[in-house]
Amino acid sequence: MDVNLTINKKQITLNLKGNETLLEVLRDHLSLTGTKTACQESECGTCTVIIDGNATLSCITLAANVQGTEITSIEGLAQGDVLHPVQQAFIDYGSVQCGFCIPGMIMSSVALLEKNPEPTQKEVEYALDGNICRCAGYPKIFEAVHAAGKKMKK
Amino acid sequence: MLLNPLTLHLPKTSLEAARLYKELEDSKVLAGGTFLLNSMKLLKVKGTKTARNILSLAKVDELKGVSLQGDTLTIRAMTRINDLLETQLPDGHLKVLHTVCTNISTNPIRNMATFGGNLTCRYTWTEMGAVMIALEAKMHFLGADGKEEIIGAEDFFKNAARSEKLFTHVTIKTRMAACAAYRRVKKTVHVDVPLLAICMKTEIKGKQWYNTRVGINNGVAFAQRDLALEEFLNKSSSSPDLGKEALEHLTTAIYDTRSSDYKKHMFRVSLKSAIEEISLSS
Amino acid sequence: MALTKKSKFVDEYVDPVGKSVPRIEGRGIVTGQLKYVFDVQMSNMLVGKMLRSPHAHARIISIDTSKAEALPGVKAIITAQDTHQIKFGSNEYFFPHTVDQMAIEADKVRYIGDELAAVAAIDEETADEALRLIDVKYEILPGVFEIEEAIKPGAPAIHEALNNIALILPVNFGNPERLMKEADSVRESRFWCPVAHPSPMEPHVCVGQWETFTNKITLWSSSQAPFKCRESLAKTLKMDLNDVRVIKMAVGGGFGGKLEMLPMDFAACLLSKRAGGLPVKICLTREEEFTTTRRKHGMIYKVKTGVKKDGTLLAITGEVLADGGAYCSYGPTVLAAAMMRIFMVYKIQHFRMSGYRIYTNNPISGAMRGFGGVQSGFAIESHMDLVAKDIGMDPIDFRLKNITTPNMVTVNKMILTTNGLKECIEKARAACGWDEKRGKQQHLKRGIGIGIAADVMGSKMYKSHESAGAIVKVEEDGSVYLFTGAADTGQGSNTALSQIAAQALGVSYSRIKCKAGDTEITPFDTGSFASRVTFISGNAALLGGQDAKLQILEIVAKDNNISIDELDIRAEKVIFKKDNRVLMSFDKALELCYSFKYGKQIIGRGSYNPKTTPIDFRSGEGNVSGSYGFEAQIAEVEVDTDTGVVTVLELWDAHDIGKAINPQSVQGQIEGSLAMGIGYTFYEDLRFKNGRVLNANFAGYRVPRSIGMPKMNGILVETDELEGPFGAKGMGEAALLPTAAAVANAVEDAIGVRIMDLPITPEKIIKALKERA
Repeated sequence: MDVNLTINKKQITLNLKGNETLLEVLRDHLSLTGTKTACQESECGTCTVIIDGNATLSCITLAANVQGTEITSIEGLAQGDVLHPVQQAFIDYGSVQCGFCIPGMIMSSVALLEKNPEPTQKEVEYALDGNICRCAGYPKIFEAVHAAGKKMKK
Repeated sequence: MLLNPLTLHLPKTSLEAARLYKELEDSKVLAGGTFLLNSMKLLKVKGTKTARNILSLAKVDELKGVSLQGDTLTIRAMTRINDLLETQLPDGHLKVLHTVCTNISTNPIRNMATFGGNLTCRYTWTEMGAVMIALEAKMHFLGADGKEEIIGAEDFFKNAARSEKLFTHVTIKTRMAACAAYRRVKKTVHVDVPLLAICMKTEIKGKQWYNTRVGINNGVAFAQRDLALEEFLNKSSSSPDLGKEALEHLTTAIYDTRSSDYKKHMFRVSLKSAIEEISLSS
Repeated sequence: MALTKKSKFVDEYVDPVGKSVPRIEGRGIVTGQLKYVFDVQMSNMLVGKMLRSPHAHARIISIDTSKAEALPGVKAIITAQDTHQIKFGSNEYFFPHTVDQMAIEADKVRYIGDELAAVAAIDEETADEALRLIDVKYEILPGVFEIEEAIKPGAPAIHEALNNIALILPVNFGNPERLMKEADSVRESRFWCPVAHPSPMEPHVCVGQWETFTNKITLWSSSQAPFKCRESLAKTLKMDLNDVRVIKMAVGGGFGGKLEMLPMDFAACLLSKRAGGLPVKICLTREEEFTTTRRKHGMIYKVKTGVKKDGTLLAITGEVLADGGAYCSYGPTVLAAAMMRIFMVYKIQHFRMSGYRIYTNNPISGAMRGFGGVQSGFAIESHMDLVAKDIGMDPIDFRLKNITTPNMVTVNKMILTTNGLKECIEKARAACGWDEKRGKQQHLKRGIGIGIAADVMGSKMYKSHESAGAIVKVEEDGSVYLFTGAADTGQGSNTALSQIAAQALGVSYSRIKCKAGDTEITPFDTGSFASRVTFISGNAALLGGQDAKLQILEIVAKDNNISIDELDIRAEKVIFKKDNRVLMSFDKALELCYSFKYGKQIIGRGSYNPKTTPIDFRSGEGNVSGSYGFEAQIAEVEVDTDTGVVTVLELWDAHDIGKAINPQSVQGQIEGSLAMGIGYTFYEDLRFKNGRVLNANFAGYRVPRSIGMPKMNGILVETDELEGPFGAKGMGEAALLPTAAAVANAVEDAIGVRIMDLPITPEKIIKALKERA
């Protein structure tokens, strides 16, 4: 069947069987391997993308069910060579270590900050509670999110 | 492939959805997908067959949204948990709807999971049931013939959360003099489901409680009322040590069967605390 | 000669050591472009899967793969008879008898998940179906799952080891029995240190490819120790080291679980051979990750001390029983580390402890961040607080009386050079307000507690040498390659080593590109463990940079008729050492090297083997590390006595790291370790029943998330270790060693309840409060 998806502002038509998850479509069909999975069961958050402004787990999203929505993956954030403020902040504040959780963490952060560029600490913690980071212990991630929000507000 | 072959059905109206709900064989409803898609993956890994027809409600706009008209709050089935959390609610007993939403799973799950899915998924540990019982919610179902059926939340859960018709929305009457409290014991160390959840609503005149509803979720059975406790609270609410005394009037079967010492302790701590919160707020 | 044109490399990253330069991979990470083995996609790549035993203990009677082989889409199947049946292990050098695992088991399976075959097929569905079609006949044997049961006579024998004891480690010094009699106060404790799991976000994943015309293997593996993996592959496949190439790409976390070859690495290579050279990718599911990789050793830790009433520690005795699971892995060295860390921390002359690594039919225990030090940290540091309480002494004062000092040799011959332990304790004490808070906040149900620890920087405990090598190659345009065998698993070693190499060469960090962990191209390195990389691999990078610098200066000196001893390169300039006068820019000097006249390639070499002595495991003596790191950690908690919930309000970790090569990275490592320490204290508990893991997923095995993390204060203490590169020692593990004890000690300060078995749960707190009432 033909499935029409809008991914990173591009319209794509794929010939699919219909039972593919969005994560499979991103990684296997479109080679957009920035979105990961560490559990395949909606617990780890590394598969997080943004759908219609909301942080969404692509590993439990049926690709055929999100036609007509705006899907953004990590590859859709930078404008050419210019990084998104959240991406830049994660580098500047030393928030990245092994990096495996970071695409999902950044997508959750961007979704939060686009709705609320000046979140409280508690709001940041709640927005990121679906993204496990095993390396960084979170403080530097929080710093980066707050700093990026300030930039985005301007 | 992580999922078995399937056919996706995408109705645009609730009537179309209700008809497909009745007619489709070997089918499951896809609301938020946070339960269904996980379990379909797991079953496939085990080599178990899964439903061939998937009835998605994603495009049924009539099933989305929260509205307050007069004294009736309507929450439609496909409202996402975070959407309910972000909806402005009047001060008072309805605020427990926000509290219960904050506790559900994690943020991306709250973006995807739906109010309707939580109520109808038939997992005994989902907490929305206890809240609906306490708020005396009426659950509305739509038949393939277009006729609506209304079941009280309490009765729905007494029937082990089963219905032949498609769930469309709940209506809740807001009451001026009502207060409510919600308690949940945090996710335990080992298993990521709530150990217990309680929701208590009452209307207070002077110091007298009346029309008290206590919704209990003990994780073992579907959400239910504790009639003995409600009766006690309605009769004795002027007592100064209400929280402590109320503990002697619990329906033991709800709290103690299959409960560890810690769970029994936490039921009592939570109930006492909820009663004290309501007493203070009045 | 003046600088003619401004080099594009003269920027803020000149003199990079000590600066928080951004991660080399930073841009690749935040754009999702950095590639992990998890992301590798090759044409004609097959999907590999392991056939795993469903039984905890069984003999393999027969295995019939014919139906699976007939399934369309199946390209290769291997069983034990297709292999040389050579055993591999991780402690071969000191304990050859602990080499006990075969990549594909032939006769027996010893835990649920043990591998006995592997398949490669065109897709995952076909591979799963093929596994279902392999017909195995087992003779189920009785299993044993508790360590105290496993050592009883008559318990089922898992290997040939008597009483299922893989190893006994006796550590004896002085005469503790006599000293114990002289003590004013004697206390005995028993602790349970539970099983945690590394749980890196990237699961174990590898791609094996066999080159048929040369009989050479390439294995891309998410590995912390590519050279160790190569060694084991070469051994089990009977190949020369230069016919086995192990390539590490970006690694999504290791934490000790990726330190050795696993059966899947072996299988991917052999399956590729059988499939005519098609690449085979094997990626573990999260369930396999929890059940069939490596976990922490659960330990029963018994300790007894005798002290004088003035606080002097006289004698320590004890016993450690470690649940090793079905095979040995790094067990012996973990056990040794669990027993001998105490010598780095406390001055002890009289000590007797026996350690037992015990086989059970549970999943395999191996190395996990902390390497036995987390277990011993909890036990010893909890016990020390109890001892201080017995004699009415403040826990910090008690520790200060007994800690090791700089420039001393311990009773087991560890040579401690720089030792910032006292400074760490005093800084942590001041930062947290200890004197105002300790014993004074019970009315708020708040408490404060301390734990101290020491860490090695590498450990000569598994191989004859543990040298690291580095090559610094300077290209004609002035850009530089650093080749290092060190494995960056996210801790930032590529960045730190590049900073060191750049500083040693005298140039900006912007010049350096780092190529790491490819056994064919980079020099040997034992891997990322025991917090060794900054110190050992760092010294190699330093030497490599210095060597390259000397090669350049040789040409400059010759061309200008000066003695090379007069010159140096610093901050992008060739200068006279005497008065810092600039002779020429680095770029100009390089032009000279690559000129028509000289045509000299600049290839700097460094090799560093730390000055250590192997441990004599009969006596426990040996200077296992070239340098030691120290820390003091304080936790402040608040307890809700209605719900039993313990909230850690704040953590202070004062850490002697020698020198921070990249302060931001060091803080990041501290914070990450503290989070893992919190995890071990409260949530991380892998539970088994009859050998089956009950919580093999992230829903059941809780790791710390963004909600509820305490405020973390990392206090860096720089003691400038002479032997370290630019004074650095390094760190990676230590911050999680004392966390559980610091929290348990703080809980006791708050509400007078002492938890002896981790994790600290609300149930245990409520139960203890009820029992006290």
